[in-house]
Amino acid sequence: MGIDITITIGGEAGQGIQTVGQLLAAVCREAGLYVFGINDFESRIRGGHSFYQLRIADHQVRAPRHRVNLLIAMDDATLRLHREELLPGGLCLLNSADAEAEEPVRPIPFFKLARDAGGDILANTVATAAALALLGAPGGMLEKILHRQFAGKSSKVLEDNCTAARLGRAAVQGIDCSCIGAWPESGRKRMIMEGAAALSLGALAGDCRFAAFYPMSPATGIMMNLAAWQDRFPLVVEQAEDEIAAANMIIGASYAGVRSLTATSGGGFCLMTEAVGLAGISETPIVIINAQRPGPATGLATRTAQADLRQVMHAGQDEFPRFVFAPGSPEQAYETTARAFDLADTYQVPALILVDQYFNDSLFTLEDALQAPEKVSSRTIDDASQKNPSDYQRYALTDSGISPRAVPCAGETLVMVCGNEHKPDGHSTESAELRTAMVDKRARKLRGMASDMRPPTGAHPEAAIRLICWGSTLGVVAEAVELLRADGVDAGYMHFCDIWPFPGTAAQAALAGAERLICVEQNSTAQFAGLLRQETGIAVAHTVLKYDGRPFYPLEIVNAVMKEGR
Amino acid sequence: MACPKDFDNSVENKWCPGCGNHPILQSIKEALAQLGLAPRDVLIVSGIGQAAKTPHYLNCNFFHGLHGRALPVATGAKAANHSLTILVNSGDGDCYGEGGNHFMNAIRRNLDITLLVHDNKVYGLTKGQASPTSDLRMITRAQPHGVILEPFNPLAVALALKAGFVARGYAADTEHLSMLIQEGVRHRGFSLIDILQPCVSFNQVNTYQWYAERVYDLAKEGHDTSDFMAAMVKARQWGDKIPLGILYRQESPSFTDRIDGLKEGPLTGRAYDPARLHKLLAEF
Repeated sequence: MGIDITITIGGEAGQGIQTVGQLLAAVCREAGLYVFGINDFESRIRGGHSFYQLRIADHQVRAPRHRVNLLIAMDDATLRLHREELLPGGLCLLNSADAEAEEPVRPIPFFKLARDAGGDILANTVATAAALALLGAPGGMLEKILHRQFAGKSSKVLEDNCTAARLGRAAVQGIDCSCIGAWPESGRKRMIMEGAAALSLGALAGDCRFAAFYPMSPATGIMMNLAAWQDRFPLVVEQAEDEIAAANMIIGASYAGVRSLTATSGGGFCLMTEAVGLAGISETPIVIINAQRPGPATGLATRTAQADLRQVMHAGQDEFPRFVFAPGSPEQAYETTARAFDLADTYQVPALILVDQYFNDSLFTLEDALQAPEKVSSRTIDDASQKNPSDYQRYALTDSGISPRAVPCAGETLVMVCGNEHKPDGHSTESAELRTAMVDKRARKLRGMASDMRPPTGAHPEAAIRLICWGSTLGVVAEAVELLRADGVDAGYMHFCDIWPFPGTAAQAALAGAERLICVEQNSTAQFAGLLRQETGIAVAHTVLKYDGRPFYPLEIVNAVMKEGR
Repeated sequence: MACPKDFDNSVENKWCPGCGNHPILQSIKEALAQLGLAPRDVLIVSGIGQAAKTPHYLNCNFFHGLHGRALPVATGAKAANHSLTILVNSGDGDCYGEGGNHFMNAIRRNLDITLLVHDNKVYGLTKGQASPTSDLRMITRAQPHGVILEPFNPLAVALALKAGFVARGYAADTEHLSMLIQEGVRHRGFSLIDILQPCVSFNQVNTYQWYAERVYDLAKEGHDTSDFMAAMVKARQWGDKIPLGILYRQESPSFTDRIDGLKEGPLTGRAYDPARLHKLLAEF
C-alpha cells in the first residue's frame, strides 16, 4: 500500500481546529490525494477540547484510525489526551515557546509565529503550513489554496496568511518525518465534501423547493447549506419557530405543490412526530432527515449514535406506511435523498432518512463526481388530466392505494385534505366501513413501496463470517473486513441503506450460507438485529455495539470479531 | 357574478343549533362572494376544534390538519405558492393555546393570510373546559373554583407584535363580520379577526344577550385605525363596553414579499434546471 497517514489536530473550541483540517484537505485534493476527516467537538463555543482527524491516502479511505502519524497540539491538553495514539516514529508538534522537549514532541510556537505574521487568528495557517512541510508537500500549494480562499478579501488578509505559511514552513525545517511516502505533484482532482453537503445536494437533485428547520446539532449543517444556496435555485429556506412548525410547514408546502424537506436530530424529531402522522393520513409527501446523536432528551449534543431506528420506524400513533433509509456514504446519501423525494411523491408518504453526527460532520473524497439528474418529474395531476375535474376525489380508493394527487387553486379541481379519517372526497367521516377501507387503502401502498426497496450491498458475499451494518458505519465495517481478511479471517459484510419497508427476501438471500452473522451498530440493544429477526427470522450470532457517542474505529470491530472466535 | 351559494355544499353540519359558528360560516360565504372569489380560488387551512370544521361546510380547497398547527401549514403553502388566497379558521384554544407560538410567529412573518379566530372563550369539542380567553372566575367542570389565569388578550398581543390588520367581529352581526373578512382578505399581510362567538352549550357567561348589551361599532365612534396607541386602548377595553371593528390597519411588505427568490414567481411554477445543480456540484 502507498500513502496512508493520519494527522490529528487538537485544541480548544474556537481555535480553528476544523480550519486546519479543511485547509489540509484542500491541499491534498489539489495533489490528487484522497482524504477522510472526522470532527470531534464538545457542546461549547470556546474552550474544552476539540480535535479533527484527517487521514490522507493515495486510495479511497472511509474510516478513522485509532493511531496517528502526526499530532498537532495547539494546547497541552491535546498532547496529554492523544499521546497514546502516536505511532512508532510519529511526531507531535506542540504549541510551546520552549526550545527543548522530549521526543517525539517538537515545540513550535504556533501562536507567537501567528502574532509575528499579523495575529493569533493566523495560528491555523502556521500549523497547516508546518504540517504540509513535514508531509513533504511541494511548496506553494498552500498559497494556491489561500489565494482561492481569500479572493475578494482585502489583500492584507492574504498577505498575512502567506507570511504565516512561510513562518510555519520555516519552523519545521530540518525536522525529519519519516512516516511520509512520495507526495504526488498533481493528480485528478476529486470532489470532497462533508456528509451534510451530500444530503443537501441530494435534496436539490430531488427538486426540493422548500425547506423549514429549527437549528439542532448535528442536522443544522444540512439546512445551512441549503440556506446559502437558495438564491441559486427555486428554493425557499425558512427558520421555523420550533420543530413542530417546521414539520407542519413542509406539509403545507408539499400540499400546495412543491417538494419539501426538514432536518433535525432525535429530540426535534420527537416534536415532529404528530406531523409525521399527519403526512401519513393526509397522504402528503415529505422528507425528514434525522441526524442522530445520543439521547434521550439532550443526551450528548455534538456526538454520534445510531439509536433512533425504532423511533423513526414507529413515530406517530396508529399505523401508516412510510419509508426509512440509512445511507452509508456521501454517494449513497446524495442518491438516496433524491430518491426519497421521488418515492415520497410517488407513494404520497413520509420518507425518513437516518444519518448521524459522524456522517454529517465527516469529510469524504468521492471517486466519481456526483451528477445532476437531467429531469425530475412531479407526480401531481391537473384539470387537463381528468375527464371531469369537479368529480375529483383526493382519496379515491384504488388497487395500488395511490390516489391521484392534485394541488389546490390550480384549476377547477378542489383539493380537500384532512387529518381526520375521511371519505374519498376528503371530508371527515365516522363510518366504520370507510375507516377500514381507508386504513386498507393506505396499507396497500406498502406492496409497491416494498418493490422499490433495494437489496443490501456489500463485499465478499460468500464469506463464512458476515458483518451486518446499516447507515454511517459502512466505511468502518468495510475496512474492518479488509483487516480481518488480511489476518486470514474469511469475513465479508452486508450494508442496509433501504430499511423500511424491510427488504426481507433480499436480506435472506444476502445472508444465506454464512457460518456466523455479526451485527455492528451504534446503540445498546442491537435495534437492527431485532428488526432483521422480526422480518426474516434470522438471528445473528453476535453483536458489536458501541454507544459512547464516539464513532467506531475499524480495529475495534476487528478485535470484537476476533474475541467472539472464528 | 360570484354568489354565497357557490360555497354551499351538502356536507351534514355538526355544530349545535344556535352555535355562533353558523352565522360566522354565512359571513365567510358572503365575504368570499363579495370579493368575487370562486371556490377554486380559495384555500382554507384549519387545525382542530369546532371552528376548524368550518372548511368542511364550504365548497373550496382545504387542508384540515392538526390541533394548533394551521398557521405553519398555511406558512408552507404560502411559501410554495404566494398567489394563493388563504384563510385560516381557528378557535381560541387552537390558536391562542395549542398554537400560541405559531400565532406569534405568523404575525412576526407578516404572513399574507386572513386568520379568523372563532373565540367562544371555552373548549367546546372537549365539553366545556376553560380556554385561554375565558374570563377570570368563570366556573367550569375543570375549573370548579373558577378560572384563576388572566385571560389572553389576542388583540393586544397582535398589536404588540406589529400585526398590520387587527379587528374584532361578532358572530351575530353577519353584515359587519362579512365586511371585516373582506377587508382582512384585501389587506396585504397578516390579518387577525377575533370573532366573539357565543357557545350555547358550554359558555353561560358570554351569551348572545350578554354581548348584545355591550358591543359597539368603533367606526361609528370615529376611531382612527392608523392610531396605534388608540388601538391599544381599544384592545384593552372589556367588560361593560366591548368594541367591534378594525382597531388598527397598517400595510407593510408581507412574508413572501420579503423573500427575494420569490420575485420570479411562485415556487410551484418554476422548473427544475439541471444546469444550476451541475454548476453547484462543480464547486466541490
